Amino acid sequence: MKSTPILLAALLTVAGITSWVMDEGHAAASANSTTPEQDMQAFQRYFKQRFPNVKFPDFANGPYAVNAEMRKQWEEIMQFPPYDFAVDEGKTAFETPFKNGKTYGDCFPNKGIGVRQTFPYFDTKTGEVVTLDLAINRCRAENGEKPLPYQTGVMASLTAYMSQTSRGKPFDIKIPDDPRARAAYEAGKQYFYSRHGQLNFSCASCHVTASGQRLRGDILAPALGILASFPIYRSDWGSMGTIDRRFTSCSAQMRAEPLPPQDPTYRDLEYFLSYMSNGVPIAGPGTRP
Amino acid sequence: MKNPSRKTVPMKAALIIAAMAVSGAAQAATQQEAEAALKDAKASEAEAAKLTNRWVPTERALKTAQKALDAGKWDEAAAQATEAKALAEVSIQQAKEQMTAWHDAVIH
Repeated sequence: MKSTPILLAALLTVAGITSWVMDEGHAAASANSTTPEQDMQAFQRYFKQRFPNVKFPDFANGPYAVNAEMRKQWEEIMQFPPYDFAVDEGKTAFETPFKNGKTYGDCFPNKGIGVRQTFPYFDTKTGEVVTLDLAINRCRAENGEKPLPYQTGVMASLTAYMSQTSRGKPFDIKIPDDPRARAAYEAGKQYFYSRHGQLNFSCASCHVTASGQRLRGDILAPALGILASFPIYRSDWGSMGTIDRRFTSCSAQMRAEPLPPQDPTYRDLEYFLSYMSNGVPIAGPGTRP
Repeated sequence: MKNPSRKTVPMKAALIIAAMAVSGAAQAATQQEAEAALKDAKASEAEAAKLTNRWVPTERALKTAQKALDAGKWDEAAAQATEAKALAEVSIQQAKEQMTAWHDAVIH
């Protein structure tokens, strides 16, 4: 076998990455020295300055908040919201008792009505981030039911209904005084800013640096408030999708192998992004191109 | 926050060169060579997995290599395994670099 071209390629690869690190790596200093509160203030200030004409609550509407042409199309679509059927299905599923007679409402504060804005939360008993989707499946398990697939279907419908009962309520994500919670937050932050996949993109590449700009036919949503409208009906999918569906498809678009739905890393990412969006009102379910 | 787009050029160039190189890498490979190449590539991909940074094209090349190996197509198996190995090594390098480089992109 010919090995010279491979060796050459490998050397060039290492050389390229080394120069990249020498160029950029010197400033890897104090990102962990900031508190989550300081991070949030800087994050929100960045997007307010980048999009000075967008009212803060409107960041819940992603690309429609930053692009007038798309907003006009969206307003027309919203005359007959494509997610309505999912909300109806979700309400029915939510209210239908399990075999043991209990319902989803029995698993949540306030019977599960108007609580979406408090998810994800850090469970200090188990030491992990709990998303709404995970809580739904744990509720099912506690009541002897099989778990639902995480990316679409009934899970999307249930979260659509629960989100609709929280519309207008601002994200209210807490980071308890627990080093494990802080570690989960930092892990989510690191994942958000780290480059992955063959295309060498991070979440921030699209949703911070290029937010509001076009990527082929799409307008890239600002990271601030980016989860407030989930679950979404996406025209590209032709169906509803959860946050897991969005995360896995983003990973694949970067040519990175997606993590399993509800992988701790994705949950930490959701925790970070939701905390950054504290104050942005829930607008889910939503619709996207 | 620095402009992260500056980082992409060396990586892209290296990947293009790697892809060009592997396209003509394997000629008249033996079964033993093909099996060794695939084993080597899988080991690298396992390391990438530990770093939570497997790449889609690496997985695709590994599957193609395994399929070719099963079909007795040693040349193809070796070529695909070599490509998978090269991709996996870059993904490992990327993950290791990002352990610190991500700080540069943080909004302050």
